[in-house]
Amino acid sequence: MIASSFPAGARSRLDFWQVASGAILALFICVHLILEGSVVISPKLTDGIAWLLEATCVAQIAAPCLVLLILFHFWIAARKMPFRAGELGVFVRHSRCLREADTWLWLVQVFTAVVILAGAFFHVYTVMTDLPITVAGSAKRLHSGWMAFHAVFLPCVILHTGIGIYRLAVKFGICSKAARNRVRATIWIVMGCYLTLGTLALSRVWFLE
Amino acid sequence: MGRNLKFEIFRYNPLTPDIQPCMRTYRLEEHPSMTLFIALNMIRERQDASLQFDFCCRAGICGSCGMVINGRPGLACHTQTCDLPNHIALHPLPVFKLLGDLCVDTGVWFRNMGTKIESWIHTAKAFEPSVPEERMDNALANHIFELDRCIECGCCVGACGTARMREDFIGATAINRLARFHIDPRDNRSPADFYDIIGDDTGIFGCMGLLACDNVCPKNLPLQDQLGIMRRMVTIESVRGIIPAFIRNKLQGCGCKQKC
Repeated sequence: MIASSFPAGARSRLDFWQVASGAILALFICVHLILEGSVVISPKLTDGIAWLLEATCVAQIAAPCLVLLILFHFWIAARKMPFRAGELGVFVRHSRCLREADTWLWLVQVFTAVVILAGAFFHVYTVMTDLPITVAGSAKRLHSGWMAFHAVFLPCVILHTGIGIYRLAVKFGICSKAARNRVRATIWIVMGCYLTLGTLALSRVWFLE
Repeated sequence: MGRNLKFEIFRYNPLTPDIQPCMRTYRLEEHPSMTLFIALNMIRERQDASLQFDFCCRAGICGSCGMVINGRPGLACHTQTCDLPNHIALHPLPVFKLLGDLCVDTGVWFRNMGTKIESWIHTAKAFEPSVPEERMDNALANHIFELDRCIECGCCVGACGTARMREDFIGATAINRLARFHIDPRDNRSPADFYDIIGDDTGIFGCMGLLACDNVCPKNLPLQDQLGIMRRMVTIESVRGIIPAFIRNKLQGCGCKQKC
């Protein structure tokens, strides 16, 4: 018997698309934060990178695509979120009783996902409707009230990305039981580094002369 | 003289629904090497003969005495009171049908699960009683045995947040059992067959990687590692026809010595 080129039945491939979109977004966040962090070295360097991305139309094309990808990722992942009546209560009570860090981490991911979904739209909208992207423009935005937004948005993005990568590695057997503590510690250290870099970048822009 | 332990035990008998569920308090003096199993027997013998709980082997083999101990599922016979605080709260395992107090019916759940995942060797070979059994590589036999050590206590299911929220989720124990057949060369099922059984949100894709199953398993089975291997196999099978074969083959390898 010749095997069908597609799996039998019309089962969903949602898990694959959830992982694939999540991995692309995680990669983007890692690169984005490093490029943003270049402001710590020199605001001119950041302006140069922003100019290059705009001149090649990468920023203009990537920004709406990323918003759509975030929506797509959220839409797929939301099928597991505790939206149905009573589910959130059951899960929170369960987590409290169990006192299991990894179970709590999933709740952190759910909470940060909702913050990111709303925040990403505003973040992209304010940046892309105020082209060209410059450090001076960012400083102006921060002083006009966006600092509080970034103080919440940045940790949420880093937490969601870091925990997401860790859970992806665990769920797909890339991180085995023997290596789990080491991988988790590494992820926390990397998240701490990104948070430090992001905080330094925000401080540098805030105090820009 | 040992500690004075305070036990708060869930009491409810479904056969007397007029009496509301409640937590009843018992006090007991701790003895050296006292396990929860011993403590519960002492309470039943000396304080309350109506207390219901299951036990059989007293050695962590039968899986009968699974219960929620201070919020975490575990075996009463495996848990020493010296590892617990003075105040010990005991509840029955969630998800399973409550028979009374700390007694739950794991049997029906596991039988239904076994039927659903077709928990038996699938082979076209006819059984020949007179022919010697086929030999198996020792390492592989040990590997199969490692996954076969599950005692069906239900602790992993009770600790699973997904199983608490979605009653149709098959749980880590089911996927671990399927992983056992996946590595068994006598089982002729293909990745497509496994995909048909667990390739949806009630199966492997329902697992959210909460890891509690792995951490509470009294037999220390590598549940999440098995879930990872099965998830990768089924995910790659789900994109057959979309992702080119050479990329799928690349993704299939996991660095472990297991067939996956």
